[in-house]
Amino acid sequence: MRRLLVAAAAAALALSACSSGGGAGSDGNVTITFWDNNGGPAREPIYKELISRFEAANPTIKVEYVGIPSASVQQKYDTAIAGGETPDVGGVTTSYLAHLVGQQALAPLDDRINGGALKDKLLPSLVETVRQTAPDGKLYIVPSSANMDIIWYRTDWFEAAGLEPPKTWDEFTTAATRLTDAAANRYGYTIRGGAGSVFQLITEAYAYSGVDSFFKDGKSTLGDSANAELVDKIAKLYKKATPEADVNNSFTQMIAQFTGGSVAMMHHNLGSYSDVTKALGDKVAAIPLPVGPGGKRTVVPNPTDGFAVFNNSEHQDAAWKFAEFLTSAESNSYWNEKVGQIPANTDVRSAAWIDEAAHVKMALGVLEDPATVLVPAPVYLPQYSSITKADNEPQYQKVLLGELSAQDFLNTMAEQLTAAQKEWEDRK
Amino acid sequence: MTETLGKTDTLVREIAGTTHAPPPTGRRRRRAVAEEPGKPWMIRVPLVLYLLFTLVPFYWMLVFAVRPTGSTQLVPWPVSFEHFDTVWNDIGFGVFFYNSVVMGLGVLVFVTILSVMGGYALARFRFRGQRVFLLAMLCSQFIPGAMMLIPLFVIFKGLGLLNSITGLVIAEVAFQLPLSLILMSGFIRNISVELEEAAMVDGCSRPRAFFAVVLPQLKPALVAVGSFAFIGAWNNFLFALMFATRQDKFTLPVGLSYTLGEFNTDFGALAAGGVVAAVPVVLVFAVVQRFLVQGLSAGAVKG
Repeated sequence: MRRLLVAAAAAALALSACSSGGGAGSDGNVTITFWDNNGGPAREPIYKELISRFEAANPTIKVEYVGIPSASVQQKYDTAIAGGETPDVGGVTTSYLAHLVGQQALAPLDDRINGGALKDKLLPSLVETVRQTAPDGKLYIVPSSANMDIIWYRTDWFEAAGLEPPKTWDEFTTAATRLTDAAANRYGYTIRGGAGSVFQLITEAYAYSGVDSFFKDGKSTLGDSANAELVDKIAKLYKKATPEADVNNSFTQMIAQFTGGSVAMMHHNLGSYSDVTKALGDKVAAIPLPVGPGGKRTVVPNPTDGFAVFNNSEHQDAAWKFAEFLTSAESNSYWNEKVGQIPANTDVRSAAWIDEAAHVKMALGVLEDPATVLVPAPVYLPQYSSITKADNEPQYQKVLLGELSAQDFLNTMAEQLTAAQKEWEDRK
Repeated sequence: MTETLGKTDTLVREIAGTTHAPPPTGRRRRRAVAEEPGKPWMIRVPLVLYLLFTLVPFYWMLVFAVRPTGSTQLVPWPVSFEHFDTVWNDIGFGVFFYNSVVMGLGVLVFVTILSVMGGYALARFRFRGQRVFLLAMLCSQFIPGAMMLIPLFVIFKGLGLLNSITGLVIAEVAFQLPLSLILMSGFIRNISVELEEAAMVDGCSRPRAFFAVVLPQLKPALVAVGSFAFIGAWNNFLFALMFATRQDKFTLPVGLSYTLGEFNTDFGALAAGGVVAAVPVVLVFAVVQRFLVQGLSAGAVKG
């Protein structure tokens, strides 16, 4: 028995001896690991191209690409942090940034950004969003691109009906009703009633109400009666100007309906650009979310994407070099052109492709317009995702089905958010 | 194999008489059902409905997989294999498939061997702490895999088992073993001790008696436990996702979730990947289902 144990221990030791891979070789070459937080066949080739450019420019650094399925990325980071096996550099968005900072997994990047080529080259609204997400106000990711909620609409249907793309919510509901022909299986709009519904609904509510901050004196403004008015308007469209199945729509179903040609307008974001244009070509265009009766444009910003350097990395300098390369004007331009998002590097604004990508130009215009008010949702709250998903998505379905009033629905959620915000402030 | 089985059958009857009659074979069972009085449509109509209900999603998957991008036809013709080409060559399902097969077979072999050995010990020997051991085995089933993730991750990191199929096999075997062990000991308990004793009286050692008398009768149990082990490993997503940080160590479920982007999903590729992942499971069940029914019923009814 004892001999067996000794053998097992020896085997374990031998195994652990071979495990220390990577690291600096004797020739000064280093290998760094890069985790793509939205890995998949759509983006992998873009990163692979950028990596080969980087390696050509920095022959002593090799980059190992790992694509993480986006649905599991937060869990994957958590496990890696607990096990001390984090990558050197990784894609991180503001939606789980606070969580990673809370575990002290990331290295602050303020000095590196200000001491290098990226100084004053990053879109201020994005830098601000990143700063607000960390409890200590430091920059733990270098922002690379942003997304924005928009409405995709069928230009051909609007033209045929003699309608202008809506600028206000009232025009919007009128258009949605007029473009509906249920007998022909054509609907004016599609509501996201399933997974992810509430986040989207919040952006609509604030776009309508013009309420300009998420908390006032520590209390959530979500229950504002103007917000409830909008929710009510949307719920009234359900089944009249939208397919009945919408109550369970997640974004995949929504996009399938839109690209399948049975819906005139869809609220999603720039990220669905490649899907909608692949299916509908030039018969589709984007407009910002309509404004409410006040005429003020308020935008709830989407999570900002960026790159983080991990504290555990033995090669933080090389890791930063790579992150900086990815955010440089040339790489940032290449990346955002391919995925159709808003580039963080302000030098990219003059790139030729932006003039052709009408939807990106439109979104950049909204973000850069001094009259636009950003209303960041408190994604830094640990309970934010459970409140907006598990707790309230089923409630929103009740609103759609007419079993719960819009005001009661928002009041409950506002109370939950206020409580979570108070807990957060107390702990700071 | 069948010859041994035949011989043991006679042995059973000779030695044990009627008290230990062998479990009825599949054919005999089917005939018994057909002889039951009643109207056949009462069984068939609900079954057909249920079958349709189950098969329609598979049909959709198949349709999406073999029709070209952008097509919306319900009966895809001509069939296109572009999505299979994409998933197998571009996304890397070739590698994922290989990893899954190696892992599945590894789990199958180890779970089967270990559960036969352990199950035999549990069924045939009395030892101190046996009940506690069994209870612990049962209780371990209450712990969800996600809870063990971080401890396992840390241990595997220390042992250098991250990013290796070996590590996945070890984790999966550890999780599947308790239930397999309990199942297997139930099977073995149903095989009469007298058979082994008779063999030993005739001069067999205990191991020899085991291989000559017990193992052949365990065939349905081996198939049941082994195929469940294989399919469990084949479908496991969590461990494969967490313990592999290199793409060349991904398995099929991880590869499938890899085709689901945050903003865009290539449904054709996803469906083709689903077909690639489902076909081996369907094949395994098609081959073993006969034994599976035998094995399950042998375990369910005390002989």
